[in-house]
Amino acid sequence: MKKVLATLLVVVLVVTAIAMIACDQKKSEVQKIIEQAQSMTMEELGRKAIEESNGKTFSGIGNSSRGKTAGPAFVKYLQTLDSTYNVTFDWQQPKNNTIFEALETDSKKPAGEFAVTLIQDGNQIESKMVQTGILDRFIPKAWADANKTTASEYKGYLALQTLNKVFMFNNTGSKTFTNVWDFVAEGEHGLFMDVDSEVVGKNFLYMLTQKDYADDLKAAYDAMPAGAAKTRIQTTADALTNDAKTLKLQGENGKYALAWIKLWVESYNKETDDGPICNQLVSSSATDKFGLLVYSKLRSVEESGSVSKNNITVAAYQDGYTGFGGYGYCHYMFVTDNSPLPWTACAFIAYITCTQDGFEAWGKDIGGYSSNPEVAKANDEKHHHSTGGMDTDGTTVLFAALNDKGYDWWEQKLIIEDPEYCASVAFTVGPWIDKLTKYNK
Amino acid sequence: MTYQNLAKASASKIRLNKIKTFFMQPHNVILIVMGVLCTMTTVFPMIAILEDTIKIHPGTIETWWAEKGSGYTFASYKHLFFGDLAVTNLWRPLLNTLVVAACSCLAAILFGGVFAFLVTRTNLKFKKYLSAIFIFPYIMPQWTLAMVWKNLFNSNAVTGGSDGLLASLFGIKMPLWWCQGIFPCIIVLGLHYSAFAYILIGGIFRNMDSNLEEAATILDTPKYKTMFRITLPMVKPAILSTVLLVFGSSMGSYPVPHYLNLTTLSTKYIGLKSAYTAQSSILAVIMMVLGVVILILNQRSLKSRKNYTTVTGKSGQISKINLGKVGKYVIGVLLIIFTFFTSIYPIISFAFETFLPNPGDYSFLKTWNFKDLTTKWWIYNDPTGEAGLYGQMGILFNKTIWQAYGGTMLVSLICALCSGTLGTLIGYAVSKKRRDRYANYVNNVAFIPYLMPSIAVGIAFFKLLCNQYFSLYNTYTLLIIAGTVKYIPFASRSSLNSMLQISGEIEESAIIQDIPWFKRMFCIIIPIQKSSILSGFLLPFITCIRELSLFMMLSGIGTIFATTMDYFDEMGLAAFSSGMNLILIITVLVCNAVINKLTGASLDEGIGG
Repeated sequence: MKKVLATLLVVVLVVTAIAMIACDQKKSEVQKIIEQAQSMTMEELGRKAIEESNGKTFSGIGNSSRGKTAGPAFVKYLQTLDSTYNVTFDWQQPKNNTIFEALETDSKKPAGEFAVTLIQDGNQIESKMVQTGILDRFIPKAWADANKTTASEYKGYLALQTLNKVFMFNNTGSKTFTNVWDFVAEGEHGLFMDVDSEVVGKNFLYMLTQKDYADDLKAAYDAMPAGAAKTRIQTTADALTNDAKTLKLQGENGKYALAWIKLWVESYNKETDDGPICNQLVSSSATDKFGLLVYSKLRSVEESGSVSKNNITVAAYQDGYTGFGGYGYCHYMFVTDNSPLPWTACAFIAYITCTQDGFEAWGKDIGGYSSNPEVAKANDEKHHHSTGGMDTDGTTVLFAALNDKGYDWWEQKLIIEDPEYCASVAFTVGPWIDKLTKYNK
Repeated sequence: MTYQNLAKASASKIRLNKIKTFFMQPHNVILIVMGVLCTMTTVFPMIAILEDTIKIHPGTIETWWAEKGSGYTFASYKHLFFGDLAVTNLWRPLLNTLVVAACSCLAAILFGGVFAFLVTRTNLKFKKYLSAIFIFPYIMPQWTLAMVWKNLFNSNAVTGGSDGLLASLFGIKMPLWWCQGIFPCIIVLGLHYSAFAYILIGGIFRNMDSNLEEAATILDTPKYKTMFRITLPMVKPAILSTVLLVFGSSMGSYPVPHYLNLTTLSTKYIGLKSAYTAQSSILAVIMMVLGVVILILNQRSLKSRKNYTTVTGKSGQISKINLGKVGKYVIGVLLIIFTFFTSIYPIISFAFETFLPNPGDYSFLKTWNFKDLTTKWWIYNDPTGEAGLYGQMGILFNKTIWQAYGGTMLVSLICALCSGTLGTLIGYAVSKKRRDRYANYVNNVAFIPYLMPSIAVGIAFFKLLCNQYFSLYNTYTLLIIAGTVKYIPFASRSSLNSMLQISGEIEESAIIQDIPWFKRMFCIIIPIQKSSILSGFLLPFITCIRELSLFMMLSGIGTIFATTMDYFDEMGLAAFSSGMNLILIITVLVCNAVINKLTGASLDEGIGG
């Protein structure tokens, strides 16, 4: 019996070893480097980067222009380890969603041009970049430690930060928006970036169909006072019962999610970017108008005769507000699978996700929260976003909308993007949304 | 050696000699090289984009329809033409595109044609000023006029958001159809291309022989009858040719419908390309097919043009219509007022925008308090601060802006040099063999890219040169290739027209003197038609300097001026884009003035011929 057991054990061990070797063989060179890098400290990674990229060009591509700002800080950090270190930092920011095409074509070359990417839109990342093996996930040790996890335990992508887009309305009139359903009431036309030009907006709509969020929408609906507005929503939702079934939405409240999406898509007033939305809402002439836009846009508004940050109310900050207050999406960091400088890419990622100096390029903004709790804390200590709207005395409120309540608070109020869920409904809920008639097509 | 062998040998020698003689003629070599080059740069991108229409792109809806992750499928065609979204994704955008292109073309011909007629064929006053000022909308990137329109007419009550200038200062609220959609697109594109129409039609009017008109005058024919029976029929084919050029250009405009909220084929292309990639490529193919239709129509118009042999182009006898003592001043003043709104007001608006504390914040005009103005958009230079510039430095210290400026100048200069040179060579070679089929083919194939919508040409080059074999995305090389191919027609058309005016005897006498080809070109041909040929360099330069639709798929932000300006406009940073627009206008005016001073060629005097 012992012999049999021993033989079995040996067989199992051998099979496991072969399987492990086979798996390892499937790994690309970059993935093997990432595996090593995931157990290294920032300094160790920095030294590897210096060894690898000294005198070369380090190219990145991203949705955020701040990557370009972070580059010189990274180089400066590496120069503290080796004063002779020098690298040419190149950062590209394509427009019109071309980043995916740029990465895809680059991936077909034996050695790519781009070493690293900072990219948004979980749905396309999942279906076009990760499932196809174009991008590799790297989890820095310091980041994993700060989040009390490990690279192998953590299953998500590495987010540099979560950004929030929140409902804001112009308060120079008498109108208030205290329930998320108020934004799709008859005659309302919120200012919003078109979902076809900024796809994270479409992901937000996909996420609404997820059971928990649909339930939240139903709860917000229940909290509405009886009346014509509520009846209108019920009628819309009832008409969508079959659609919810056809789309195989989980739970019984999918039709409310579809109702909100339908009413929103058929009513929102599309704008080219959040900047113009913000510029309009802060004007005293934009009475009673509202928008769904990136929170950070508020920071650049200058007070003048007819423009003020105090013309704005962040809907979710109101007492008694019901329902979600906006949505959250992430800027993810990846190493390209044919990265010409994988060690440097890992070091760069670790630098901007695990140090306050690295995150500084984004840290000045309200509404952008580092995924690393230690960096988030250090950043708030430096920039005081939670009291950003207070006067120097610390008690007088100058601009209430600028007092950012922080990620822990917002997390409960936002529809947070889940790449896997988005990818799973993109071809069912997606075409359903496309069939809706937009307000200003 | 037998007789047959001898005959064979001499036949092959004759053939060889024929080939040798053929290749000793420079225009034959040019035609062969340019024919191959133009075919490659026109046909290959088309093939690349056609392939893309049936390709299954990972992560797109095609994988869902085809139930496989890669390979090829025709499902996208089926769904685009007959699917649930056919009206939304194809038919409505197509209809909007055709309506906008046709109407803006009409508007451009009306504005530009009438203006050209008044300036070239009448004794109108203030001609010099009007001629110079009328081309301003063509110098400016087309969407900047759309931004001016929005800033002027938008209102909270109608378009939502904040009030524009008219609503804010005077309470004037224009209806929605005026503020967004087809109507403003037509006006903006019409105004933009009216300058183009003026340049082209003005050139024709300027060189038109007036013998027939004078004959009509002698026969006491009423002026209106002379106009409709003689003048217009004589220039009709040329006007038709201009119409088609403007139609093709308007059809491919992306930024104007984008900013004025109209769905056209080009805006739909951008909207579809992430999830419905193959369908978006089909839209690009449709735009190309429309371009080919235009080419065919253009060919027909050119054929019919041959019937009017009285348009010799070199008569020099131009009689001016007398508008009357008062009329010449009244019409002049009316045109000054008109051009104030189309050319001067936008510039004032751009300049003013760069001093506003927030984009579209006209507080100063209400309070007249100088605290409501700022110079921060120009001179702010603290990298650690914020100052309300969304993390950017002021224009004078903004590296991204000046890098983009350098990039644009580089691309425009090289494009102008390459397309000007190649186009001139094509024009020369075609003029030497004007009845040769192959020469006609080269002429046509070189002209195709111009008739294709810019965005479609850009997409085609993106598909062809941004892949595993050619990694040219966001490089100046790619922009130069696309720009050169797109703008060769400017020079080839201008060069062909001017070369046809040169008598063959001039060059023949030089050949008899055994003067080499280079010397003939540089000492005889080019100096004679210097002005027209230089216009063939100047137009590509001016067009390239503010081109967006062609380059938007090929480069990122910060590479060239147009994509960077568009980025700032999209971001709502109108002060930056307005400041950049001013820099651009000044650059073009300086270049135009320098070239005018040095060579006598000028943008507002047409492209010659």
